[in-house]
Amino acid sequence: MSIRTHVFVGLAAVLLSLSARPARAALTQPEMEKLLAAVDDRQNSSGDWRASAYLEQKEKDKVDVVYETEYYRRSSDQKFMILFTKPKSSAGQGYLRIDSNLWFYDPSVGKWERRTERERIGGTNSRRSDFDESRLAIEYTPSDEGTETLGHYTAVKLLLKGKPNLDLAFPEIRIWIDKDTNNVLKRQEYALSGRLLRTAYYPKWKKVYSESKKTDVWYPEEIRFFDEVEKANSTLVLIRAVDLRPLPANLFTKAWLESKSR
Amino acid sequence: MSKLAIDFAIAFRNLVQHTRRTLFLGGAIAAVTMLLVLLAGLSTGIRETMIETATTLSTGHLNVGGFFKVTAGQAAPVVTGYEKIEDVVRREVPETDFMVQRGRGWAKVVSDTGSEQLGVNGIDVRHEPKFASVLQIVSGKLDDLAQPGTALIFDNQAEKLGVKVGDALTYSAPTTRGTNNTIDVRVVAIAKSLGLLSSWTTFVPIETLRTLYQLRPDATGVVQIMLKPEAVDHVNEIAARLRTTLEKAGYRVMDADPRAFWMKFQSVSREDWTGQKLDVTTWEDEISFITWTLKALQGLTFVLITILLGIVVVGIMNTMWIAIRERTREIGTLRAIGMQRGAVAWMFLLESLMLGLFGTVAGAIAGFAIAAALNGAHIHVGTGAQFILMSDHVKLAVHGGLLVFAVVLITIITGLAALYPSLRAARLRPVVAMSHFG
Repeated sequence: MSIRTHVFVGLAAVLLSLSARPARAALTQPEMEKLLAAVDDRQNSSGDWRASAYLEQKEKDKVDVVYETEYYRRSSDQKFMILFTKPKSSAGQGYLRIDSNLWFYDPSVGKWERRTERERIGGTNSRRSDFDESRLAIEYTPSDEGTETLGHYTAVKLLLKGKPNLDLAFPEIRIWIDKDTNNVLKRQEYALSGRLLRTAYYPKWKKVYSESKKTDVWYPEEIRFFDEVEKANSTLVLIRAVDLRPLPANLFTKAWLESKSR
Repeated sequence: MSKLAIDFAIAFRNLVQHTRRTLFLGGAIAAVTMLLVLLAGLSTGIRETMIETATTLSTGHLNVGGFFKVTAGQAAPVVTGYEKIEDVVRREVPETDFMVQRGRGWAKVVSDTGSEQLGVNGIDVRHEPKFASVLQIVSGKLDDLAQPGTALIFDNQAEKLGVKVGDALTYSAPTTRGTNNTIDVRVVAIAKSLGLLSSWTTFVPIETLRTLYQLRPDATGVVQIMLKPEAVDHVNEIAARLRTTLEKAGYRVMDADPRAFWMKFQSVSREDWTGQKLDVTTWEDEISFITWTLKALQGLTFVLITILLGIVVVGIMNTMWIAIRERTREIGTLRAIGMQRGAVAWMFLLESLMLGLFGTVAGAIAGFAIAAALNGAHIHVGTGAQFILMSDHVKLAVHGGLLVFAVVLITIITGLAALYPSLRAARLRPVVAMSHFG
């Protein structure tokens, strides 16, 4: 469960990062908010697409786990699906989100299980926000923390503080956005106690042309997650074969996912 | 000498006369009795340890727990306004010995070198009368758990996490509203493992747990009620009564469900309600996931003893047939000089009852002695067996009641086994019996 949800996290993060070339980030309050809204909007209306992902999870005192998955996403009705192809023991398993329900299918028992919110969070590195649509602009108030150089990139550093009376997985997020492309380069998530929980890096971005959107979109070829509480744990996500063509209508169904393991 | 005494004397002499047969059969009866005593002692021992461990670590005899749902799909093991519930219990459950309130939670516990998913119990150690007597502290001080930001863990957890007293741990968990949170605590005490239940239980001060889960001061996880010893056996009736009482007091109470609270999350999350619902459970419900070991052992004891008793019954019947055959002429003579049929049957019956009594008493004494020796030897068991035994050493609880039960039960069975052959012996016609050559 832990590893699979971690896989899930990785792939969900891809969506977060898929962004068209936006306007240059500004440092005034309304512009920062506009920038966040753009990030949200691009994730939530990325159209149809699929991708293959390779995931490698390292945990202390455990054997490294490698997964290969197929990821399908339709933003118009917030549906997505993950199908595991490797290793053999997990092949055919999958997650399917229909409306607000997340379902898990295991071909070895042939049953669908509804994953509750607690299960998804409890005991895993996954966060509730990873499963929801991005609402950074609605849920957080950004403040400018200047610019910072990350490798070859100059990044705008924003501190996002959760707005009061909202149930947020992270009351605070720090985000580094590339000044030139507005791609997210780094993201840090904090606990209520102020402790840093997780850092994500997006070191490699690739640009592809989307026919449906008639513009270039960016996707991260590589994402690295580091558990900041349990320092030895990390996950590497490599994205391959991004395909932005429309997906068939019957794809996001239980029957389709079941058919892949027959 | 009264007639009964004569009967006893005859039966005893007959037993002595057939020494080898008596010893063989008596030995078998003794062995079965001993086995019954030992197996029943083992399962009683496990049961007693289970109740003691469970009622210290994770449950009261009776619990008023429950769930608070902020949204329909999100359930937290929280009871709000627990003081009012305590008032209801004080008023309506006179069998209460004492009450404690504890916070419940489940968190990732991280040290510098490792991590584990563990249960978090928030307690006020100053108001936990049984705690100090049951937990064996191997290092640190239990009283220090009264300070905020501290934790008590068990030695097996300390080993896995690579921590000792004074080291820091981080507890990481989402609050009841889904916000990720962490607390840093200092290990102040390490207790000796108490088997399965202690393998995933840790304790922190209740205020620290409230900080982690962002609970209000009047919120807790469960009100644990310890009953007076004589009321413990009636816990189910008291639970049913308390359920009705709480409903009358205006609380929403969940239907009785004999499972531990953490097994109910899934079903509760599926239900379409929000707010507070209370759940009244007994200690057996809360540890239902491990009582199967006890039931399995009891089932095994029953099957084993039944088979062995079956063999003993066949043995006794067979021996009686042989005895009757050997003594047919004697029966004929006794009948010819005026002994009634009932008296003949009684003679044989008494003989086997006496054999049964001697055998069972010897077996019970042997069982008791072996149990005492095993308890005295403090035999340490491996981690796997600890899960079943609920303790790190073998404990057999052999009480007087069990010994009397074993003696009476097996003696009666021995008597019943001899009943039919005795009646057959009594039915022999004197003239036929006297002319019998065998």
